Amino acid sequence: MSSEVREQPQIEAVREAFEQEFGRFARFRGAEASAGVDALKSSEAETLLREVGDLRTRHTGKKSALANLKKMIGRVAPEERAAFGQQAQQLEAAIIESLEEVESLIGNHVARLRVERELLDVTLPGRRPRRGHQHPITLVRQRIEDIFVAMGYTVEDGPEIETDFYNFDALNIPRAHPARSPQDTFYTSEGFALRSQTSTVQIHAMQRRKPPLRVIAPGKVFRRDTPDATHNPMFFQLEGLLVDRGITMGHLKGTVTEFLRRLYGPQTRTRFRPSYFPFTEPSAEFDFSCFKCNGAGCRLCKGSGWIELGGSGMVHPNVLRAVDIDPQEFSGFAFGFGIDRMCMLNFGLDDIRLLFENDVRFLEQFN
Amino acid sequence: MLMNISYNWLRELTGARLTAGELRERLTTAGLEVEAVHEAGDDFVLEIAVSSNRPDLLSHLGVAREVCTLAGGEVRWPEMRAAREEGRTESFTSVEVEAADLCPRFTARVVRGVRIAPSPAWLVARLQAIGQRPINNVADITNYVMLELGQPLHAFDLEKLNERRLVIRRARAGERLTTLDGVERELDAEMLVIADAARAVAIAGVMGGAETEISGATEDVLIEAAHFAPASVRRTSRALGLQTEASDRFERGIDYEGQLRAQARAAALITELAGGTATTDAIDVYPQPLTPPLVPLRFARVRELTSLDVPPEDSIRILGALGIELAGANGAGRSAADAGGQGAASEATFVSPSWRADIRIEEDLVEEVGRHFGYDKVSDTLPAANVAGEYGAHEGRRREARRALNACGFDEALTYSFIDTAHDEQFELLPGLVRRAGESSLVTLNNPIIEGAARMRPTLLAALLESARHNFNHGTRDVRLFELGRVFAAGVEAGDQPRETEACALVATGVATEEGHAGASRELDFYDLKGALEAALAAMNVSSVEFAATSARHLREGQAAQILLAGNAAGVLGRLADDVAAVYKFKQPIYVAEVDFTSLLAAGETSVRYAPLARFPGVVRDASLVADRRVTFAEMRRAVLELNLEQVRRVTLVYVYEGERVPEGQRSMTLRIEYRADDRTLRDQEVDELHGRIVNTLEEKFGAQLKR
Repeated sequence: MSSEVREQPQIEAVREAFEQEFGRFARFRGAEASAGVDALKSSEAETLLREVGDLRTRHTGKKSALANLKKMIGRVAPEERAAFGQQAQQLEAAIIESLEEVESLIGNHVARLRVERELLDVTLPGRRPRRGHQHPITLVRQRIEDIFVAMGYTVEDGPEIETDFYNFDALNIPRAHPARSPQDTFYTSEGFALRSQTSTVQIHAMQRRKPPLRVIAPGKVFRRDTPDATHNPMFFQLEGLLVDRGITMGHLKGTVTEFLRRLYGPQTRTRFRPSYFPFTEPSAEFDFSCFKCNGAGCRLCKGSGWIELGGSGMVHPNVLRAVDIDPQEFSGFAFGFGIDRMCMLNFGLDDIRLLFENDVRFLEQFN
Repeated sequence: MLMNISYNWLRELTGARLTAGELRERLTTAGLEVEAVHEAGDDFVLEIAVSSNRPDLLSHLGVAREVCTLAGGEVRWPEMRAAREEGRTESFTSVEVEAADLCPRFTARVVRGVRIAPSPAWLVARLQAIGQRPINNVADITNYVMLELGQPLHAFDLEKLNERRLVIRRARAGERLTTLDGVERELDAEMLVIADAARAVAIAGVMGGAETEISGATEDVLIEAAHFAPASVRRTSRALGLQTEASDRFERGIDYEGQLRAQARAAALITELAGGTATTDAIDVYPQPLTPPLVPLRFARVRELTSLDVPPEDSIRILGALGIELAGANGAGRSAADAGGQGAASEATFVSPSWRADIRIEEDLVEEVGRHFGYDKVSDTLPAANVAGEYGAHEGRRREARRALNACGFDEALTYSFIDTAHDEQFELLPGLVRRAGESSLVTLNNPIIEGAARMRPTLLAALLESARHNFNHGTRDVRLFELGRVFAAGVEAGDQPRETEACALVATGVATEEGHAGASRELDFYDLKGALEAALAAMNVSSVEFAATSARHLREGQAAQILLAGNAAGVLGRLADDVAAVYKFKQPIYVAEVDFTSLLAAGETSVRYAPLARFPGVVRDASLVADRRVTFAEMRRAVLELNLEQVRRVTLVYVYEGERVPEGQRSMTLRIEYRADDRTLRDQEVDELHGRIVNTLEEKFGAQLKR
């Protein structure tokens, strides 16, 4: 049959036409394939990939010779149709396989090159605006407030410029006490005193509230010290006060110990030493075990294992009477310490004047 | 006050067998803070920090009592008898106390025929060990007795006293006296002096006179031991600027019964070391003998206040060892002896010793018992919880404001509350701080410690700018600082307590964003400062804040804004004026703000009400208008909103442009208007019409021209 003669060469012609054009990609097949691809620069590879894509369109697309060949299947004589169809399909599979093999090989190479090109230095700094910092005294004060509020204390404050009554008289400070002298305490031209201790807030608090009461008063205080590495004429103190029935020094010590444990860790121990303050009787200074060496002795605690922190005692009956609280019915304790001093300890400051110089190089160290 | 205590001397007085190291430990535990121990020849010196309520510890005797209380044993009194005695003192001299109010007691004794010479080696060594300079035997002995017993003494050369007698009186105004240190001093009529028949010969309780002092030629010595009123000695010492070992002790209070004992001890030492014969007695002018106060103690009170379980007999033992004697007991037992025994008394009365003015009330006794029983035995107990904790008012909003400012790059600063008077006229103060017209509202310190810093700050800006200057000086030129703190103004009426207002101030200068891989650098400007302030206000949830152009003393004209809180002025912000910047030597632009933080906190907070989400899409249209540059965004925005168009939902600023292609004195402003309806999707035609109305209004009202 004449048709038989014509059909076989048509398949061969399509094959030949493809192979002729595909010839230049043959080097990306077989044993030398990967070496051939690896040598490609990214622009070459992308061009080749595009060309392979074109080839696929031309040789497998709807208008390709191969598509025409497949359309012929229906017109082939029935006895030849199966063989012809099979051959056409084999040809199509061979063409697609060749194209895909090369396409994926070059495609992978292109993807690899892109990854290489778009590689990030993840160690470059992230983009963000410069953040400011809270003052170390604020950081310490807030931490202390958080602890005491959790222990049932109310945060109170009072004026920084006080009358003699609040700054001295109500605190049982004798008329002739050196703290009252203009050598030690600042006075305004109208005779008011810059408060020399936050104990003044004890009095305000006890006038505002009736026992049982628990109060802390963080705030600024002023003493006429010439500024040097360990003194400032202005500093921050924290005063604590608890008044209730049946309060003893045991409660005072337990409270101070609990506070210091929450601040410095559960291993912290405290030590009380007898002392003298006009507004407490009995009075004691308290030390705590060094948080650096845990009492073994180091530079921070000057080898003693203990850090001196503040003063405390049982509220003097005269102070209770000054605010109309009956010392026979109620007793209380008070304690106080320097927030600046705690800052120095916690952050290892060597000069207290740094706190009020506001050097940005200093401030930005705190977070 | 530091007191040097000789270890050897202390051992002679106590017989205690403790080492210097043990003593240091035990004394510190009992409340005598031993700051240092150092060797001095064959001796050790303990440096004890003595608190102002315990002047009795300014003597070896006082410390010896503490040692005996903590180590057992009794004070061993030194030799008190003169080697030779003859004749009564009144045969050789007389004493007249004219100013008994300033001199409750005065004693005098005479030692005749002494030979003045250097002190023996042991006495010299002992004085030198504790830091005293030896002079001659008699002067050294008066010094020695003071350090031993706490009673200051003075020795006069009897021959040199006019009429060989003493008068204790107030000085005559302008009276002069050359003291032992060779300084001629002018006295005033309130100072107490010891005088002879003609002139002052010593400033009572402070220092003796040069003319009557002991010299190599002295044969007869008059020893004076007195009790002078503390307040008088303090005043005289301050007025003369003359502080001595004697004045230190008198002004803190001495043992008011210690004079005769000191006389006896001095006479014993003088007759032993300088020869001579002492009189058999002392003249003792003591018109109104003081009686020691009695102090009650309920033994249970020790436990109530300290939590220490101290048996009554231990309380009595401790107090007794300190010289606080039992006067009587009540309760189960009736006699003093019973009080310590079985079925002990529940309360007792004790005698406050003449050297312990700090023992006046029950709590004082509790402390004495507690500190010797041992504070180390006090247990840690937490009080039962019966009240709820609470932060200070607005603490949460304060923290939010700080964080917001931090997020805008501002570091928190703290500055001194007193500032230099040079800043007085530099700044416009917060509205609430100005008192009545024409009167200064400044609060002034009488006694500043930093030269010139005599004003309680009426503004935070002065010191905050100093801080910026400090940073410039140390190479940091990009500075953003804020401070939260109180500013001060005089009370409303003269004599009223000053008013304290919390203020918040910001200072910003330098770059807003640094050059880097994130982009190019940009200098910060007014809007960075305003943005930071707005961020803080938003974080604090302050409602109804507005900004309006203003002028202020410290701000550059045309770059100043006022902050209005519900219509009330609450502070200003802007660029620092050139003349103020020049004071701080700033060359780059500085932006500052100060607001009344108290008012911000008092202002209402916005409360959140949910608004239903839009169901239909909105349409956004921009309008770029060229108008005079004095026409503000706020004015344009208000003009749009005042049209009351229901569909206009938002009016915002896109950008502002001045320069090329915009006529001088004008600027182009691009507004963005968002249109939306709640019940349908707006048609383009509708929006076109609304937008047209708005543009027309703006063109007419502000002479603006739409840029096409």
